[in-house]
Amino acid sequence: MWLSVLGLLLGISLGLLTDMQIPPEYADYLSIAVLASLDTLFGGIRAHLQHMYDDKVFVSGFFFNIVLAAGLAFLGVHLGVDLYLAAIFAFGVRLFQNIAVIRRLLLAKWANKKEAGETLG
Amino acid sequence: MRKKIFSRFSIILFVIGLMMAVQYNTINEPDSRDTRDVWEIRQELSVEKQLHSELLSEISQMDSTLEKYEAASEASPEQALKETVEELRSLAGLTEAAGPGIEVSIEPSPEAVALGQNIEGISPDLLIRFVNSVNSFNNLEVSIDGNRLVNTSAIRDINGKTTVNANPIQTPPFTAKIVAGSTEDAEKLYNYLLSSPLLDDFYIDDLVVTVSEPKDDMVVEAYDGEISYQHLKEAEGE
Repeated sequence: MWLSVLGLLLGISLGLLTDMQIPPEYADYLSIAVLASLDTLFGGIRAHLQHMYDDKVFVSGFFFNIVLAAGLAFLGVHLGVDLYLAAIFAFGVRLFQNIAVIRRLLLAKWANKKEAGETLG
Repeated sequence: MRKKIFSRFSIILFVIGLMMAVQYNTINEPDSRDTRDVWEIRQELSVEKQLHSELLSEISQMDSTLEKYEAASEASPEQALKETVEELRSLAGLTEAAGPGIEVSIEPSPEAVALGQNIEGISPDLLIRFVNSVNSFNNLEVSIDGNRLVNTSAIRDINGKTTVNANPIQTPPFTAKIVAGSTEDAEKLYNYLLSSPLLDDFYIDDLVVTVSEPKDDMVVEAYDGEISYQHLKEAEGE
């Protein structure tokens, strides 16, 4: 678990220290990609807690969601329809749902542990 | 298996962190980039330097006043105060100013006289233009037709007559006297006025400007009105 946090910190510090920038026109795409990746991440954590985790689904979902979201935004820009809003909405709703499920699972886990401790005690 | 999952998560989290950091960098770009080139910066620098030197000279002046006070406070504080008051009065234009200067006479143009045209008074706009261009030189004492220009002087049209300090100006010819700080300054002003495009502006109004050679003993009249302090209040005593 600490390895994951280390990975996150490493990524953030690398990005901040190298002062990488993308043209402002592409900032929309990147923001939607970040949202998609967060959605995939929390989906992965949920699947892991529900013992349904699959490596292939997780990694392919990560990249596919990012590409799909960016592609949708790109299409929206060229059609004059704010399609990226659809992506933001979909990912946002799923993000909240996933986090809610994770919370319930963790709460249930914690309650189980406590019960087990009480019966042991 | 567990380890493998975490390594996958780490890689994904690394990518997410990188993307977030890049997004952060992009969004937090400064709003307006500094696009001044070297010359613009140099110009700004020179303006600031000039301000700096002006402030320094002001400080040294204040210092000398302070020293004078300190030296005189034992002997006679009254004398020092009187001197300062006199200095301030002369700065405000309440006393006569003498020194090297020039005399500018404004007359109707000979053509207009020959053609028998009506000679009209100078317009306030033209007079203001003249005063402004003369004021581009520092430390000048100016009087127009005997009316000393002070900080609160107004040049304006009152009932069709051009006035300075609310005193009507004669229909040309009349003279303006200018006292400069030094002979050099007076000469500079003289040369500036001779080559100034302002003379053409006067000619459009059928007026001719004659600038006298710099004289060493020019005298500018004192301001004879009363300076009204509407908003100025005495400071609370310490």
